[in-house]
Amino acid sequence: MKIKTFLFAFFTLLTFAIQAQEQKMTDSETAAFRQSVNAVSKKIQSLATDFTQFKHMDFLAKDIETSGKMFFKEPDKLLWQYKKPYNYTIVFKNGKILINDEGKKSAMDVGSSKIFAKLNKLIVGSVSGNLFDDKEFTIACFKSKDFNVAKLIPKDATLKKYIKQIELSFDKQDHTVAQVRLVESAEDYTKIVFKNKVQNAKVDDSVFTN
Amino acid sequence: MRKSTIPFLPISLFVLVLVSCGSNPVKDLTPAAIENLAYKAPYFSDPKTDYVYKTNISVYGNEMSGIFVAKRINENTHRVVFTTEFGNKLLDFEISENDFKIHSIVEELDRKMLINTLVEDFRLLLRENYQIAQQFDSGDSKVLQAKDGNDFNYLFVSKTDGKLTQIRHTTKRKEKISLTFQSENNIFAEHITIQHYNIQLKIAFNYFKNQ
Repeated sequence: MKIKTFLFAFFTLLTFAIQAQEQKMTDSETAAFRQSVNAVSKKIQSLATDFTQFKHMDFLAKDIETSGKMFFKEPDKLLWQYKKPYNYTIVFKNGKILINDEGKKSAMDVGSSKIFAKLNKLIVGSVSGNLFDDKEFTIACFKSKDFNVAKLIPKDATLKKYIKQIELSFDKQDHTVAQVRLVESAEDYTKIVFKNKVQNAKVDDSVFTN
Repeated sequence: MRKSTIPFLPISLFVLVLVSCGSNPVKDLTPAAIENLAYKAPYFSDPKTDYVYKTNISVYGNEMSGIFVAKRINENTHRVVFTTEFGNKLLDFEISENDFKIHSIVEELDRKMLINTLVEDFRLLLRENYQIAQQFDSGDSKVLQAKDGNDFNYLFVSKTDGKLTQIRHTTKRKEKISLTFQSENNIFAEHITIQHYNIQLKIAFNYFKNQ
């Protein structure tokens, strides 16, 4: 009897704990959340932020941590500048990808790789929050203590091979993306956390070069 | 006239073979007595360490870069993953001396020849145990010869500090692949280069300390 009571209490607590972490939004909550995100993302003309990227793989002792700066400018200019532990810059603009790898520069057309084009759209969308496309994704929304979370499952078979799910965590106050989790498999994901975000500051076009 | 050309044919073929095969890396080395029958390569042997390298690949004039990760997951096997800087996985293998398993590979890289080449390279890079068949002296290094199927691996070990500086993989006559290591502490290598001689492929690894 005691064991039964204990088990009951244990599982009830466990259920509460899981619910406390993340709870599915109701339909009306989802609609309100998506509306505020869309409204905010429409207003974003530019974005400058620091980021830290954590590559998680179950077999590693530690996540691989890299960090740097990111700049975004409407409609589709994007720069990722890794500064630690190495210098690596990747720019997406006008259908091109420009790379500077420790001083070694190169360029390629996004169109030359379909999957790169899709990933590019995904990355730009993740940053601006403009990813709520029901044609492209099955979308479910959750709320936790700190974030509103949108979980997107790609419908496109090619993209799905590489990314099982995209999780966008939105700041509850300003409705912008605070972190992104790209889930490749059950054992493997990339998490990008944004910090010191500045919206709509003047970002010169010359920033987007390698 | 016809008679005289025939004997030339095998000779010219022989010369051609000699030229195309290049030189044997131990041709000019002095044979020496074997000190130890076994050698352990240190650089990827610790099961607790995540070996993480920023990696640049040049293949026939094309450049590719990414993150190379290796981890020893049991006595004989390493898990090897190559990702883009964004973290997208390009390939994910398990490799042991006699076997390999593909966990995943992107379509663009899923070519049998490429996979075989990479597996051969990663095997050379990750292998720990060598049975020494012969030993040579190159002046500043001890050169240990180990058989690798029908091929050979020549391990160059510095006489001054005992560091493994090079592995040269050869057939009986020609060199196919060389691996060059730079290591400060002889526990792991900060910089590694894999250079192929029969195809235009070079892979450079630069260790980065995970924060």
